[in-house]
Parts: sequence; structure tokens; C-alpha cells
Amino acid sequence: MVYSNSGSIIISVKELNAWYGEKKALSNINIDIKKNSITAFIGPSGCGKTTLLRCLNRMNDLVDGFRLTGDILLDGESILSKNRDVIELRRKVGMVFQQPNPFPKTIFENMALPVKENFGNVRREKLEEIIETNLKAASLYEEVEDRLDSSALRLSGGQQQRLCIARALTINPEVILFDEPCSALDPISTMKIEDMLMELKQKYTIVIVTHNLHQASRIADEVAMFYEGQIVEQASTDVFFSNPKTQLAQDYISSKFS
Amino acid sequence: MNKKKIRDLMGEVMSWLASSITIAACLGIIIYLFNMGHAQIDIGFLTNEPATTLETEKNGILTPLVGTLLLTFIGTLVAFPWALGTAIYLSEYAKRNNLTETFRLGIDVLSGVPTIVVAIFGLAVFSNPALGFLSSMVEGVQDVNRAFGRSFLVSGITMAVMILPFVIKTCEEALKSVPDTYREASLAMGASKWYTITKVILPTAKNGIITAVILGMGRIIGDTAIVWLTLGGTLRMTGVQPWWRPDNWLSTLKNTGSTLTSYIYFMSPAGEGHQNENAFGAAFVLIIIIILLNLLTDFFMGSKEIGK
Repeated sequence: MVYSNSGSIIISVKELNAWYGEKKALSNINIDIKKNSITAFIGPSGCGKTTLLRCLNRMNDLVDGFRLTGDILLDGESILSKNRDVIELRRKVGMVFQQPNPFPKTIFENMALPVKENFGNVRREKLEEIIETNLKAASLYEEVEDRLDSSALRLSGGQQQRLCIARALTINPEVILFDEPCSALDPISTMKIEDMLMELKQKYTIVIVTHNLHQASRIADEVAMFYEGQIVEQASTDVFFSNPKTQLAQDYISSKFS
Repeated sequence: MNKKKIRDLMGEVMSWLASSITIAACLGIIIYLFNMGHAQIDIGFLTNEPATTLETEKNGILTPLVGTLLLTFIGTLVAFPWALGTAIYLSEYAKRNNLTETFRLGIDVLSGVPTIVVAIFGLAVFSNPALGFLSSMVEGVQDVNRAFGRSFLVSGITMAVMILPFVIKTCEEALKSVPDTYREASLAMGASKWYTITKVILPTAKNGIITAVILGMGRIIGDTAIVWLTLGGTLRMTGVQPWWRPDNWLSTLKNTGSTLTSYIYFMSPAGEGHQNENAFGAAFVLIIIIILLNLLTDFFMGSKEIGK
């Protein structure tokens, strides 16, 4: 695979096949993900894009009957090998889910939980500093600074999702996976999160699954289109939307944009 | 009126009648117990120890009341960590396979075993001389080497076994009601499974777990068969006297006593007492304890809006 621009590759998926029980979910997936860029996985429902995303931090390990062949490299090392520490992998590859899932605790505790687990007992001032920095990075700090001790469940859906993003940032991941992060949100909340993603890619690598082609065209650098468990086309966003090579991609784009 | 409307009306009337009878029965029992028992209840009744039939003035329920509280405390102390550990295993670790299903079946069967059967099993096990340290050794009988098998400790442990399946089931339900999204969120941020369980799942399921424990306590308070067989048939404490002095506590725990339920039995015409009024007095106290426990359960069930 030859790319015209020069981002170094952080994740490399090689000949990946995956099954849920007898049902094949992914066939012969090959894709490279570039550092400090936003890669969007698009395609119709059930096409395997979320499955691939959840392979990247091995969340599919939790699913009974899931198995895969092939390999996934993070910084050149396999994440699928037997002696790979899954906990350490998930520290490097964070995830934000479709439904905002803050814990039923205060905003502060939501943010402190991953810090305490990953860095041990940090000093209170240090903890507060980490929390403030990351709430700011998720552009939530101004809205919650005077109520850090109230329940996270009292926030609006959009605020909850930004809290989940801030929570994912606390452990300094290299890559953050977003599984349709805006599908449960209103347009204004969606815009805020899209703006934030553009900021975050300076520091992190972002992979996002989205149903929304407008969203992909607005924020993504690279696009991979999935259909029935395969990647049918992958290209830089400009090329993909202006000049799709396959009939499937042309049809998908025109049906979604018309 | 057409047929459908008549059928509708009949259905409503029937279900209304059924629930009215239930409520009437419940209230009836409580009012009856109040009528029969409230005259007995004064400070003396609560603070005197049971006395012989002749000394009716001094008769009280102090030791049965303390006995009920002691048994509930010991039973809960043993059952709770045991049940919670099992529930965590079943809900968070166990895979769906034949072994787990057999395990679950065993728990279901145990929950259906009548308490008198659990009691006779407890008595048999704790009569083993090797477990004599939990009660006392039978002495002075030739060629007999066995433990007495009846004491607060023995009875408390047997009570724990009795409520175990119920508390496991209820704790497991509480853990399972925690949405998987919390588990995923925690694991996805690099938390270990144990950290996820202790910091996310248990705090979220806290109210359900507390409810399970309180309901289990209610079962211990209400049980008679296990008291009868494994706590013995003495109304007073039989350890070194005075039983309430801290240096005699161990002796009290290793010896026999009574609970409100066994006191009621003794005082009723079925037992040896013929002191009906005292039986009703104790029954009324027992009902009050049960009502208080239920209010406590409602409080924790009601505050299900976790974290708000």
C-alpha cells in the first residue's frame, strides 16, 4: 500500500478474518492506520466496521464464541500474541462507545477512576491537575468546573459523551477508538465533538466508526468503506468522496448524499 | 352491557377481592397480635430474663431477644462474604457450561430444602468431636465421645447455610442488573477485571446487595426449626454467668439459649409454658422487628436511582 503523504503507520491490520460462532464477520482485512490522523470506517449496518474497531483493543475477547485469524500490529508488535498484556494494550488504545457510559458516580470520580488504576495513588493536586487538563481537552471544563462533585448522570447526553472522551484521555493513550460517538446526540453536541476530534488528532491517533457520511467527509483524513465483512475501498477522504473507484462506493455515496 | 364489558368487570372485581383478602389477612394478624400482646410490653418485659411460671411478675424476653439478634448477626457475618463471593463468581467469571449449570442446580435445590433438614444436617456435622470447639463436649457419659452440637456458633453457621442460596441468588441478580456498558467502559480504559468488579460493579449494585442481606436476615429471624435443633431448648443463656459480661461472651456463644421464635413456642400451649400472653407479647415484638427490616428494604430498594 502506497500513500502519497508521509504519516508514519501506527496500526497495521494484516489478513484478518473473524467469526462470531459460525458466522463470518470479517474477511481478509488489510488496512494501515496513520499516526495523528483521523481514519473513518463507514458502510451499512452489519458490515463489520464495529467488529474491526473492537479487534483493535481486543474488546471482542469478551464475546463468547468470537475468534479470529491474521494479525494486528501496534507500533510493529502483534497485539494478538498469547503473551500480550491486554490491560496494557487497552491503556495504549482507548475507546469511546456509541452510548455515553459514564459510571453512576460523580464527575470527579469518573475521571479519577482510570488515573488511580493506571498510575497508582497519585497526589491529590496531581490528580486534580490531570482531571482539569483532560476536561479542558474535551472542552467540558467550563461547563462542569463548579459541580465536579455532582453525579455524572445529571449531565446532558452530549456532556456525558465528552466526559467519556475526557475519561479516555486521562491514561494518555496513543490511539482512541470511537464507535459512532455521535449517533445518540443532537446536532449541536455532534458539532462540539467533531471540533474536539480535530483538535485531538494533534496528539492522538483517531479511528472512528460512523454512519454519517457528512461527518466522515468533514473530519476524516482517511476513509475505509466496509461491505459484508470486507473493505471495498480505502482512500484519503478527498479522493474517496470526489472520485470513488468502485461501483459500491459510488452508489453508497450518492444514495447517502442525495 | 355486552359480554366483553361484563368479563372485564368480573376480572377487575376478582383481582380486587383477592388483594383485599390478602391485605385484610395481613392487617388482621398484626392487629390481633397487637391486641393480644401489647399489654405485656413494657420495659420489664424487654429487660427481664425468662422466669418460671410462678414468678410471672419478673418474666421477660431479654435473652430470647438477644438470642435472635446474636443468631442474625453470626448468620449474616458468615453468609454475606460467602454468598457475595459466589455471586461474583457466577455473575462475572463463570462461563456457560455444564459445570456451571450443575452448580446453579445445586444452589436451587439447596434453596428448596426445608430448614428442619438443614438443621438436622447441622446437628450431625457439629456433633463431630473435631468440631467440639464450636459448642461443648458431652461429658460424664461413658463410651461417648462427641460434641454437644448445639450453641449460638453452631446455630449461626447453620443459619448461614440455610440463607446462602437465597442470598447468592439475590446478590447475583443485583450484579447482573449492572449494565454491561459499565463493564466495557471500565475494561476499555485499561482497568483490570478485579478493579472493575470492586470499583465499578459492586458500588453500582450496592443497594441490591444490601437488600439481599436484609431479606436474608429476615429469614434467620423467622426460623424456628434450626433454633430448635441446633440452639437447644433452654430459655436462658447457659454459658458462664453473668452471660453479658465481655469475658464470658465466648462461653455464651459456645453454649445454648433461645430466640424469640423458640420462646414463643415454649410459652404457647404446644410447648410447656401455658403463658399465652407472653407468647403473644414476644410475637408482637418479632413482628415489629420484621416490619422495621421491611422498611429498611424499601428504603434501599427505593433509592435505586443510583449515584444521583
